[in-house]
Amino acid sequence: MLTINLFNGLVYGALLIVMCSGLALIYGLRRVVNFAHGSLYMMGAYLGYTIALNSNFWVALIAAPAVMAVFGVLLDRYGFRLLQDRDPLTVVLVTFGLLLVIEDMVQTIWGKSNLSVAAPQALAFTVDLAGTPVPAYRIGVIVVGVCVALGLTLWLRFSKIGLFVRAASTDPVTTSMQGVNTDLLSAGVVGLGTALAGLAGVVAAPFLSLSPSMSADVIIDSFVVVVIGGLGSLAGAFIAAMLLGMLQAIGAVYLPDTAVLLPFVFMVAVLIWKPSGFAGSRT
Amino acid sequence: MTLNRSLLASVLALLLGVAVVSGVTSGTVLSLFNQAIVYAVFALGIGVLLKQNGMVSFGHALYFGSAGYLLGILLQLQLASAETIIVLTLLIITVTGFVFGLVIVRVPGVAFGMLTLAIGQMFYLTASRARGFTGGADGMNIDWPSTLFGMPVSQILKPGTMFLISWTTLVIVMFLVACLLRSRFGAITEAVRDNEERARFIGISTLLPRASVYALSALITAIAGVLSALNTGFVSPENLHWSLSGMALMMVVVGGFKVLWGPALGAVVYFIFKDILGDYATHWMTIFGVVLIAVIVFSPTGIAGALMNWLFDKPKAGKQAAHSH
Repeated sequence: MLTINLFNGLVYGALLIVMCSGLALIYGLRRVVNFAHGSLYMMGAYLGYTIALNSNFWVALIAAPAVMAVFGVLLDRYGFRLLQDRDPLTVVLVTFGLLLVIEDMVQTIWGKSNLSVAAPQALAFTVDLAGTPVPAYRIGVIVVGVCVALGLTLWLRFSKIGLFVRAASTDPVTTSMQGVNTDLLSAGVVGLGTALAGLAGVVAAPFLSLSPSMSADVIIDSFVVVVIGGLGSLAGAFIAAMLLGMLQAIGAVYLPDTAVLLPFVFMVAVLIWKPSGFAGSRT
Repeated sequence: MTLNRSLLASVLALLLGVAVVSGVTSGTVLSLFNQAIVYAVFALGIGVLLKQNGMVSFGHALYFGSAGYLLGILLQLQLASAETIIVLTLLIITVTGFVFGLVIVRVPGVAFGMLTLAIGQMFYLTASRARGFTGGADGMNIDWPSTLFGMPVSQILKPGTMFLISWTTLVIVMFLVACLLRSRFGAITEAVRDNEERARFIGISTLLPRASVYALSALITAIAGVLSALNTGFVSPENLHWSLSGMALMMVVVGGFKVLWGPALGAVVYFIFKDILGDYATHWMTIFGVVLIAVIVFSPTGIAGALMNWLFDKPKAGKQAAHSH
């Protein structure tokens, strides 16, 4: 019982890592908390559903995030870039408006009923984990989460563009004075962040059902994660995502009635201790 | 606005309310007005927080719904008279809001908005899963007694009376808030909002004023919750849902938050708009999403700001918005 729950906690934590790294990247460069991030995740999931229906899951896994990346670049070019001198709260409200539009659009195109995507054939077996059979697909989700976390960390730490991204997150004006095209960089990073939201959607589709409420569920948890981790901090978000996943898993075993409240209690506790989260100084 | 002018405006507003009730005979129209006014009080709660603290709450439905639930539960327990219970509900919400405020107003900037959204949703989940008193996802009926404040409830529930009650509440609350914000309290909170660090330097405690504004905004929203509970006699988890918080916030932004009557105007515009839309209402999310984006991008001070500029040719409001950070 506990093993399978802990395992599922890991799976959910991995999903949150993919979601929150997108949120944190966009916040880092554009200082925008993207309230529409959950809707982008939902859009990715539904796109993945349609693509998987017409070809197969693996195509969806590549194509849906790619489409979302294009959407993200457009969002940056015709949204965030034009609004970059405005009050941060203004931009937040714009993303909230965007959330309403996307939710309605998805409901109109795909309907309000629950849809499901089958796990790919190649991963449709179970693996024995300490005496408990677990679906191989879920192990795949953990692998995706780890790859995203590792890939982003290495990219930001060791590549030239990664250096530019870190520089622009700290001080966009000085960075652009040094000859870095921060607008282009931001477009790329927002595109990447949006693609990650789409990827999370496609990856989640086979084990969480597709429904119009899927975005609200995940965005709330993602916000808890990035607030606990410290806005804009990737490392903080990774740690907080795993902690949250584990906490829910353990809560589901020992406190089944109040498990949904645990993340919030945890969040309030962290914020009393450190009002700006684990990586507070970075905000 | 000076005190006398506020008082005059309030009295005129009350007379206008009486004129509307005697002039409009259609019950449906009055019900629509009443709904708009209940949400105007709700939006005023969010507006006060935004105007005075510079903080955007994405989870104020928490206080709107909680007020209804608390009323319903206390009335079911029959511990005191309904009048006492109304006062008690508002008191509990205010104190709770203050305690919450002490924790969450310390969270800087946008993270505050994310936090309010998360906390609001936590209560939504709790209410929709809890059985017993709250009736879970089905919601609960509120057992009002047969008379309230010496008036038969059947009389109160007539659209005209209900509208007058809501309207009078809105005007009185707005007047009291205007008075409060003209006092030293208003000056202190504005100082803290504009520059917290400097306010601290001149010896103002910065936590308490912000938590107090938060509590005040919770109280106003709770009043809207009580009005709604009186009007519908019913409360459900939908009253706590984030989409409701979002709608109310939208009224505030579209109406304009720089002046106190902006959020109320936003609420009225919202309901008139929604009524006119009628058949297209299935796509209201897209329509309102686009309107929200358009207003924020092109007129950050909302309808009220645009009106003020147009009427008094005062570019002040617009300039303030452009400089506020």
